[in-house]
Amino acid sequence: MIKIKAKDVDVFYGKKQALYNISLDIEENQVTALIGPSGCGKSTFLRCLNRMNDVIDICNVKGEILINDFNINDKSCDVVRLREKIGMVFQKPNPFPKTLYENVSYGPTIHGMAQSKQEMDEIVETSLKKAALWEEVKDRLHEPGTGLSGGQQQRLCIARAISVRPEVILMDEPCSALDPIATAQIEELIDELKKEHTIIIVTHSMAQAARVSQNTGFFHLGHLIEHGSTDKIFKNPDNTKTQDYITGRFG
Amino acid sequence: MNLILFTFIVLLGFTSYYFGRKKAYTIQSTKKRLTALPQFYGYYLAIWCAIPAFIIFSLWAIFEPTIVKLLVLSDYSNQGYLDDELNLIYEKTKALSRGQFTGEITPFIEASAEKYLSLRSIAQSSKAVIVLSIIIASVAYAYKRISSNSRTREPVEKFLNAVLFTASLAAILTTVGIVFSLIFQTIDFFKVIPLFDFVFGTHWYPAKAFVRDSSEALDPTMYSDTFGAVPIFAGTFFIAFIAMCVAIPIGLMSGIYLAEYASTKVRQYAKPLIEILAGIPTVVYGFFAALTVGPFLKELGTSMGLEVSAESALAAGGVMGIMIIPFISSLSDDVITSVPQSLRDGSYAMGATKSETIKRVVFPAALPGIVGSILLGVSRAIGETMIVVMASGLAANLTFNPLESTSTITAQIVVILIGDQAFGDPKTQAAFALGMSLFLVTLCLNIVALRVVKKYREKYE
Ligand SMILES: Nc1ncnc2c1ncn2[C@@H]1O[C@H](COP(=O)(O)OP(=O)(O)OP(=O)(O)O)[C@@H](O)[C@H]1O
Ligand SMILES: [Mg+2]
Repeated sequence: MIKIKAKDVDVFYGKKQALYNISLDIEENQVTALIGPSGCGKSTFLRCLNRMNDVIDICNVKGEILINDFNINDKSCDVVRLREKIGMVFQKPNPFPKTLYENVSYGPTIHGMAQSKQEMDEIVETSLKKAALWEEVKDRLHEPGTGLSGGQQQRLCIARAISVRPEVILMDEPCSALDPIATAQIEELIDELKKEHTIIIVTHSMAQAARVSQNTGFFHLGHLIEHGSTDKIFKNPDNTKTQDYITGRFG
Repeated sequence: MNLILFTFIVLLGFTSYYFGRKKAYTIQSTKKRLTALPQFYGYYLAIWCAIPAFIIFSLWAIFEPTIVKLLVLSDYSNQGYLDDELNLIYEKTKALSRGQFTGEITPFIEASAEKYLSLRSIAQSSKAVIVLSIIIASVAYAYKRISSNSRTREPVEKFLNAVLFTASLAAILTTVGIVFSLIFQTIDFFKVIPLFDFVFGTHWYPAKAFVRDSSEALDPTMYSDTFGAVPIFAGTFFIAFIAMCVAIPIGLMSGIYLAEYASTKVRQYAKPLIEILAGIPTVVYGFFAALTVGPFLKELGTSMGLEVSAESALAAGGVMGIMIIPFISSLSDDVITSVPQSLRDGSYAMGATKSETIKRVVFPAALPGIVGSILLGVSRAIGETMIVVMASGLAANLTFNPLESTSTITAQIVVILIGDQAFGDPKTQAAFALGMSLFLVTLCLNIVALRVVKKYREKYE
């Protein structure tokens, strides 16, 4: 099943073009990794998928992005509903300077998803459990989220993102600020989450892309050079640039 | 004379800088490596010029007057004059030498005046000679001594360090001096007026103290109902309260607009404009309040059948609030802008709208800083003088009706100190007691505000 279908997407920052003609299909309930050298437009593409580029004044997105066959770049698209369905986890953990509980209940509150305190408690608990953080923090839910370790903060951000039960989760280098143990925890988590969510992850680590993803797209200088199953991209790429990048010859 | 000498020394300083550098270049041209950049050699020589000059100038400033006085008055010794009389003679001598003496001129004084003048000119010329020769000697000595491996950088750095230290020391010492004079005068005041009467008395009427004949003995009981500070404390906080009622909502909202909503273009023009507003002298606000707002409110009130004083607390407080708006708006704009963008992104990515993001994430995150800026605004409101002197009454009514006139601590200090005043008078000391109270209040506010702001800063670093 194809969840997201990008068709001829061009992105401009002011006059400068950052993405050229990107067409990419994303499979439902699989992990898709986006790889490529720094500045090639991976984050830019990711941010197109939940219209986060709207926040940047000079950014201009052209082309069609169909999610469940609905073009999100259409005027009739409600960004609030869209972002409820498409969650995002950022490169640097960015918990709000509020309590753990408030961090996780933020989304459900905004979208009016809980009718009672009990319901909200439940949402918070399941989200934290899914993010594999519950055991560590269940006794300190009312302490500030900024007091956690980096890895815990990132898992808190994941819990925050899944609290509204999004269909898709976008992750922009979620492990770049973490140590190997925390990284392993998050990778395990991603594997678990893909049962219920479609996941797109940007990563600089080839090993990570190979470990967690089923599909991979390789970007270079704003172009999508090659995409396909991770196995194929890593073992037998069609393009020599992909080959060179994966074997570490440039990038 | 002194000016010429001074200019000459400055010129000498530049010359020695030049020569020092030149010598360094010369050394360099012989392919020797210097221990410091050539400029340091120049600065080093200039310092050898500045320090002796400074020492000699200060020695002269300290000792010249005393020595000249001793020499002039030596003619009068053994003639049985008292110290006070000798001082008087000396003052007359000085006045005559300046040509400002109006009394009867005796030959004695005339002779002293001449002696005084000649002594002064000897002192001046000897100073010039000594300064110049010592400077030249010291610079020449230093010039001969500097070589490729002499240490010039360290002394120059030390000298700069010392100069900067002296400057900050001067700043600190004057502050300490002012605070101590406040404290001592306040203590004297409370020797006459019991602290209890001052803090809890509800009747402030310092005019009563104006009518005291200073030759009479001081009778504390006559002030029993004069220096009760409650009405003016109340007035101060009341007017500040009105001001903050105007300044906080408008300032905050415009701060939020500037930081979150305004496009870069609007911001580019609006921010400097608001900062210009902050630069308007408070007197201008004062006559704006006294001549425009006050009468306007009075008329408006009359047309609605209300009794409004032309010098109402509302006019003074309102205009003061307008004065504080740019302060709060600009500070809270800074604070809000410094909330990391990643927090906003996190909130937007959850599907929050702009106003939800501001209300739930940005504002709470910026709150400590905003509270800090409000506290600084309050301390300005309490310390503001010109507007209240001009626009609110000078009579200290104990009232919380914004349409009546009240007075503030600062306005009362002005009232007390305008006109004749003598140290040691309870009336004058009352001003110090008021100043002390004001100082304590604003000090506490500032400390709390700075603490809060600092804590906020640390949070994101
Ligand atoms: N806010 C912005 N304003 C202007 N140009 C931008 C902005 N964000 C990104 N760009 C430009 O768009 C191009 C793609 O940037 P992007 O952040 O998508 O790269 P990336 O692949 O995520 O790189 P990295 O791996 O370093 O995160 C870059 O050339 C960058 O300079
Ligand atoms: Mg990126």
